Amino acid sequence: MTGRRTGQVLLTLGGMIAWAVQFTIIYAATSTLCGRGWADATLLGIGVVQFTILSTTLVTLAAAAILLVVSLRAERQGRHQPVSATDSFLCQTSVLINGLSLIVILWHGIPGIILPACA
Amino acid sequence: MWAVPVAGCSGVQSALDPAGGDAWDLYWLTIVMTVGATLIFILVTALLLYAIFSPPERRAWLGTRRTIIYGGLAFPIVILSLLLPYGLIGMRDVDVPQSGALQIEAIGEQYWWRVRYPAEGEQADFSTANELVVPIGRPITVSVTAADVIHSFWIPNFGGKIDMIPGRINRFNFTAERPGVYRGVCAEFCGAQHARMAFDVVALEPAEFDAWRRMQAQPAQEPAIPLLARGRDLFRAGGCGSCHVVRGTEADGQFGPDLTHVGSRRTIGAGQFPNNIGTLAGWIANVQHIKPGAKMPSYGSLTGEDLRAMAGYLESLK
Ligand code: HEC
Ligand SMILES: [Cu+2]
Repeated sequence: MTGRRTGQVLLTLGGMIAWAVQFTIIYAATSTLCGRGWADATLLGIGVVQFTILSTTLVTLAAAAILLVVSLRAERQGRHQPVSATDSFLCQTSVLINGLSLIVILWHGIPGIILPACA
Repeated sequence: MWAVPVAGCSGVQSALDPAGGDAWDLYWLTIVMTVGATLIFILVTALLLYAIFSPPERRAWLGTRRTIIYGGLAFPIVILSLLLPYGLIGMRDVDVPQSGALQIEAIGEQYWWRVRYPAEGEQADFSTANELVVPIGRPITVSVTAADVIHSFWIPNFGGKIDMIPGRINRFNFTAERPGVYRGVCAEFCGAQHARMAFDVVALEPAEFDAWRRMQAQPAQEPAIPLLARGRDLFRAGGCGSCHVVRGTEADGQFGPDLTHVGSRRTIGAGQFPNNIGTLAGWIANVQHIKPGAKMPSYGSLTGEDLRAMAGYLESLK
């Protein structure tokens, strides 16, 4: 695999990786913090659990947004020059996956705002 | 044509006839989901039929990139993004404990419900069975557990189910909005007579509730006439008191339902039979026939006269 392909594949999977990171951190943090009795502890004025969920969500959301912009650019470029079928497939897939990852990360963050931390 | 399906929707045991806070949230969730899903199903089916039967040039738009992006991606994303907070807000607001709630304890046993009202202020504590009496307008917290196997406590008109698990206490919170009689059921298979494990829920005006509570805390009435006194003696001689309490008498068994005020209940046998002398006598003589597997023996050898006296005595325990 050439370096270019590796980059393309990473771009394609990037959003999902961001989502996986968010998923792991918020689930692990929620169960650990709640299990240790940190339900009411606060950080910068909001509950630690909420703080963790919100900050993780914002960071991974930003990552997915950047990946989406990059993949949209690549896809647009690809439209104006002749590219191989594989390239065009990877470009379109990246846009789709990064876009969906963005939404999914948002969906995973929302319960952190609405529901009580450890109930 | 609607009469048949809709007839089952209102009434004493229906999630579609809410009578208290949470039940309304669940009701609207059901309506939104059912109606929404039906509309989308019809739309998709129509499009499918269109795709199959219309001439190729007319259905071409269905296969365009734009249709796929708007119909296949944007539409579900928008719908799910609306449903997610709606569901989460419902989850947050349902079953929240309220301060100053009336506390009641319910214990599931094969195949009946032990119900306790802890002391509150002047009001002494007492037990009853197979009946939950509540005042309207006041938040209520029912703490539930089980004595033997897992049961589940469910009053459809008042909200969701809550499991009764041995060794664990779960809480169920609700407020009754209007007076009436409702029916709760066991919603977790618990043995042979699971299907005959129900209870009455009676929502009363606060003043009536207070009167009921004072009355329930009293010891049992003394038999007023010789026939009833004979019933009481037979009850004693029959050993009923080894399983049943009748407060104020020497009957102090804890195994079965408290019978101190059994005559004041609407039903017997965990919501199975109307409460009158006939059904009481039938129950005593024939439990194992009418509720096989219930943990009470049939007393089939009593004479008709003795049965009537005993049933009359129980019926007089208002
Ligand atoms: C071995 C214990 C035991 C004995 C002895 C016993 N019972 Fe019971 N009884 C029970 C149990 C358990 C139930 C609940 C059964 C159910 O609904 O599944 C019950 C239920 C009842 C009920 C219905 C109460 C209600 O609110 O639904 C009545 C009435 C009753 N018993 C009367 C009697 C009488 C009268 C005798 C004596 C002749 C007697 N029982 C003897 C265990 C006993
Ligand atoms: Cu049960």
